[in-house]
Amino acid sequence: MHIDIYLQLLINGILFGAMYGIAAIGLSLIFGTMRIVFIAQGTMIILAAYGSFWLFNLWGMDPYVSILFVVPASLIVGIGFYQALFRKVAKAGQFPTLLIAFGLMALLENLMFVVFTGNSRALQTSYSTYTLTLLGMKISFVRLMVFVMAIIGTAGVTLFLKKTLLGKAVRAASENLEYAMLVGITPHQVNTVTFALGMGLAGLAGVATATTYAFDPFSGFVFGLKAMIALALGGMGNVAGALLGGILLGVVESYSAFFLSGGWADVISYAVFLLVLMFKPEGLFSKDTSAKL
Amino acid sequence: MKTINKKQFVLSIIILAACVAVPLIFDPETSYVVYFLFMAFIYVTLAQAWNIVAGYTGQVTLGLHAFFGLGAYVIAIGWSREMIGYLDPLGMFAAGCAAAFLAVLVGIPLLSKLKGDYFALGTLGLGEILRLVTIQGGAFTAGPTGILLPSSSFNTLTPHYFIALFLALLALGVTCYLTKSNIGLALVAVRDDETAAAASGINTLKFKVLAFAIAAFLAGLCGALQAYYIFHVEPQGFYSLNWTLYPVLMCVLGGAGTLSGPVIGAIFLTAVFELAKYAMPEIHPIFSGLLIIFSIMFLPKGLIGLKAGRMFQRIKRTS
Repeated sequence: MHIDIYLQLLINGILFGAMYGIAAIGLSLIFGTMRIVFIAQGTMIILAAYGSFWLFNLWGMDPYVSILFVVPASLIVGIGFYQALFRKVAKAGQFPTLLIAFGLMALLENLMFVVFTGNSRALQTSYSTYTLTLLGMKISFVRLMVFVMAIIGTAGVTLFLKKTLLGKAVRAASENLEYAMLVGITPHQVNTVTFALGMGLAGLAGVATATTYAFDPFSGFVFGLKAMIALALGGMGNVAGALLGGILLGVVESYSAFFLSGGWADVISYAVFLLVLMFKPEGLFSKDTSAKL
Repeated sequence: MKTINKKQFVLSIIILAACVAVPLIFDPETSYVVYFLFMAFIYVTLAQAWNIVAGYTGQVTLGLHAFFGLGAYVIAIGWSREMIGYLDPLGMFAAGCAAAFLAVLVGIPLLSKLKGDYFALGTLGLGEILRLVTIQGGAFTAGPTGILLPSSSFNTLTPHYFIALFLALLALGVTCYLTKSNIGLALVAVRDDETAAAASGINTLKFKVLAFAIAAFLAGLCGALQAYYIFHVEPQGFYSLNWTLYPVLMCVLGGAGTLSGPVIGAIFLTAVFELAKYAMPEIHPIFSGLLIIFSIMFLPKGLIGLKAGRMFQRIKRTS
């Protein structure tokens, strides 16, 4: 057993986990203002993955070009979903919102099953199997692109939250909704923004999924669950923490898959999830100790 | 806390008598009615189990399928090693106890630390862990293919029907007892304002774990009965999230936090699902998803009326 293998596993894990990170940031934003864990996130990712897949297969559009169509479309879908489904029940608290998300997940999964069939799909480009060799480490090009997308996504969201007025409103609402309302921030407006952003990130994660994984209509649930684990690891309502949580989860999975087996890797990631929930529910990378429980 | 009046008492006796008479009137081997009511009773039990934890105690769990699957596996493993027999009451009791034991084991750390979404996610993770561990369980759990049970033992659905009826009555009885006892008062106090309940001297953790364990016990029994009916216990089907999703939906649609809400919701939705399965098998799950969305949007208070609406507001207040 050489140090090389450990390093290679680490790199694989980091690249792998970046995708969980993108999905987790979306969840984190939505949780920040709406106080719900949007469980249909994984299903939205798969829907976006199908978008990218069909754009490539029908019109030969490169998956990285399809980002330009899939992400804006996801943003619009996000606004539509919020206005049509969640606006009305947002006031009634988390419970109905959570259940609507549950219903949306069941609806979308089965709709995709009927429309796209249950066949497993994978986007095969000419460069899908291309690997770079860096200091003796093999790095898959598509996985590296996922990592780059995750970094760009995180940076974009962070800039939006820090520099724009709308982003500041979102942050204010996440920190204290009542005080935010006192200074004239409307909850529906910030909810719409975070929901749209969350879905936009789901779109980005969808393209990332399409280029690296085989997927079917029902793989979204497990994916969403992984994003939730990443979110719990990083701490809810913390953008950079969510990305780090995703990367940490990827690394844990990569090592346990190598030393035990693929099946046990999932068991271990759920066990880590439960342990973090039990002993450090505010997350591993949370700066302030006043957890938003 | 209203006492059952005479009219309601007579009505429940009539309904009970009708339920007992069904397998005598309809032939359980061919009749759809018996099968339908069997499924409906199982769902009534599961919905009521969820109601005890979420509706009365305010702890939203998404891990009912963990206990359902565990109960089924206790039966499958015990029966395939001839430790218990076919429709063995002791075996079923053991299945329920195993589920309740697990609930106490994970409930104490989870419930002492987590609230709201975090607890819901933790229980969701529990179901996934059990499913994956079962798949990895090797010869003990027979892995992803699952355990095949001697289906030659099956000759009629009648005993299953009566056991399911008994379970539904047990769930109703337990809920009824809870609401009329001090325990029920403590549970509702925990739901409405946990801090105030703790300040009044209620050991909130004890009552939350108790409610969680009772629900797990009932779910474990349902899983055990389903194992005796399906004869093939495998991870995907028995640890399926649907065993949580459907009861939650039934309870919410009927009216969470009420005694009769989950019963009405369970019977109504079992009928809708069966009809949908018969009329449009392809798109039936789409229909179920739509139904969840519409019932929450346009019927937030549940079929039963205003009580569930109050629960939503309470949950909102505590969050």
